[in-house]
Amino acid sequence: MGLKFNSRDPVYVQVVQHFKERIAKGELEPGGEVPSRRELANKLKINPNTAQRAYREMEEEGLIFTEGNLPSRVTKDEQILRALREELIMEATSAFITSMRSIKVPLDEMLENVKENYEKTSNNEGKGEND
Amino acid sequence: MKKLRIMRGREKMIEVKNITKNYGRKKVLKGVSFTANKGEITCLIGINGVGKTTIMNAIMNLTPIKSGEILIDGKKVDKASYEKITFIPDEITMLQQMRIEEAMEFMKDFYTSWNQKRADEMLHFFRLEKTDRISELSKGNRAKANLLLGLALDVDYVLMDEPFSGIDIFSREQIAEVFTSHLIEERGVIITTHEIHDIEHLIDKAVLLDQGVILKEFDAEEVREKEGKSIVDVMREVYRA
Amino acid sequence: MKNYLKLVNFEVNRFIKVYLSLIGITVVLQLVGTFLKSKSYLKEANWMIYKEGVPVQEFLEMNGYMDLVRVLGSWWFIFPIIICIAVLLIYVFLIWYRDWFGKSTFIYRLLMLPTARINIYLAKATTIFLMVLGLVALQLVLLPIENKMIDVMIPDEFQMALTSKEAISSYHPLSVLFPNYFSDFLIYYGIGFMVVFLIFTAILFERSFQVKGIFYGIIYIAIMMGILVAPIFTVLFTGKSYLYPLELFYLEIILGILVMILSILISRYLLNKKITV
Repeated sequence: MGLKFNSRDPVYVQVVQHFKERIAKGELEPGGEVPSRRELANKLKINPNTAQRAYREMEEEGLIFTEGNLPSRVTKDEQILRALREELIMEATSAFITSMRSIKVPLDEMLENVKENYEKTSNNEGKGEND
Repeated sequence: MKKLRIMRGREKMIEVKNITKNYGRKKVLKGVSFTANKGEITCLIGINGVGKTTIMNAIMNLTPIKSGEILIDGKKVDKASYEKITFIPDEITMLQQMRIEEAMEFMKDFYTSWNQKRADEMLHFFRLEKTDRISELSKGNRAKANLLLGLALDVDYVLMDEPFSGIDIFSREQIAEVFTSHLIEERGVIITTHEIHDIEHLIDKAVLLDQGVILKEFDAEEVREKEGKSIVDVMREVYRA
Repeated sequence: MKNYLKLVNFEVNRFIKVYLSLIGITVVLQLVGTFLKSKSYLKEANWMIYKEGVPVQEFLEMNGYMDLVRVLGSWWFIFPIIICIAVLLIYVFLIWYRDWFGKSTFIYRLLMLPTARINIYLAKATTIFLMVLGLVALQLVLLPIENKMIDVMIPDEFQMALTSKEAISSYHPLSVLFPNYFSDFLIYYGIGFMVVFLIFTAILFERSFQVKGIFYGIIYIAIMMGILVAPIFTVLFTGKSYLYPLELFYLEIILGILVMILSILISRYLLNKKITV
């Protein structure tokens, strides 16, 4: 799980985002174990404090939970998982709309382009997923 | 973090309070103040010759200061402090003719905080040979052996002077990896650098230094979160001002 | 205390190769010298007595007896001693400066040891003392061996059977290095060690204040010397003494000890507060 960080967003936010995407994609299953703080820091090449902070953030958001001394796990709460999916969709959509607006693309043309390209690229993406 | 809150009033940190120092008539430090918390990586950033190394030496009482005060967990440095804080200068602090195992033996002899298990672990991680002589090591391996001798001490604070300067890219990556490991976990770390690139994502706090004064001290994540700026962005603003 | 001993052990080990070479040079040169001196004396005697027909008595009157004093006065004997003294003198400085100079940043390590810094100073001083005393001991072992060598090589009638002790006291320059009385030994070597302390403290002045420190160091040594010679000079210049010679002597011993204590205290202050890497 390599992750290229940009330097202008908080690293912990990027880590949380990374986890959200993996949960949404199903790479991390509901109730599945997440790596320890230490493992995560090592894998993502981040400071253990940052890993700790990302986990704290995710616990607060209810994305992961910890029982006693056991490893943390991904939430099984359907509602949170659904909300997460919606959040990611909203984020991507609004980013997309913003950039489309900036080059003054009307809604019809935009939707048309989406339909056309979605079919075309889905095959390639499917391959990419398996890497 | 929770632990730190409970310990309010006597938080664990290195406090540098308004220190000044002259070399002859030249003022190298003109009232430098900052703090470095335990459990955080604090980075002193500045071009060569702005006083980074002098600050490190001053913290370790390796050079006198003209005025000001330096406290570690609220106490001045004395001989007992060297079991709590260690300094890894930019050159290895051992006799050149020693083998790595002899250097480790020396450390073990004098420091009760020496942790042989951790030393062996790092030996393995850095792929160093115990029987190699320090004088015969490559530059990268010297830097690694130097790091090993410091980090194998079970101390609360670690100071590192330019751990990345002048070594090959693979050694740099390997050393950067140390900062993501349990080797520095829960410790307070101060590192100096003139090149932030390798470690921008690794540091908690940045202290920008120029000509013996602190221009800015900030929490890296906070600046990203509140102002959407990278450390380099802040540096650009501060140094171009 | 434990750390002090560890440091002594460490400092001795750092110098041991050079030191063993010094011992080697001394042993080899002095024994070879003794052998060659005896040999050439024999050759001379053989030539004169058997070839030239000079009577033994006349030869002895002309050339004297063969004894240890002949060896002591030769370069074979003196040269290694001079080398040893020179190397140790240089090492009095080098034992400090080698920690700062070159690629080595070993002084960082020494100053960051979790032990009182004065132990570094005391360990270095102890090392010098041990090295000096070791060489003295070596010489005291070598002299009887050399004497024995002469005894074996030279026929009795050509020998002045001197003990090595007698030989030394008859050969003046060496009687400073190897005094006849233990009290003299204590005084000479006491002065020597005091000088080592003074130089060490001067070095620490230099290491603390750089160029200015050289002046501080020289001034410090001058003042200490002044204190030491003051009572003697008072006697010399005023021509009268308020003290009996023995009292003067004890006063000097007390002053000497005070100077050493002062050197250690000042060095401790410099090491703790002023030294710079």
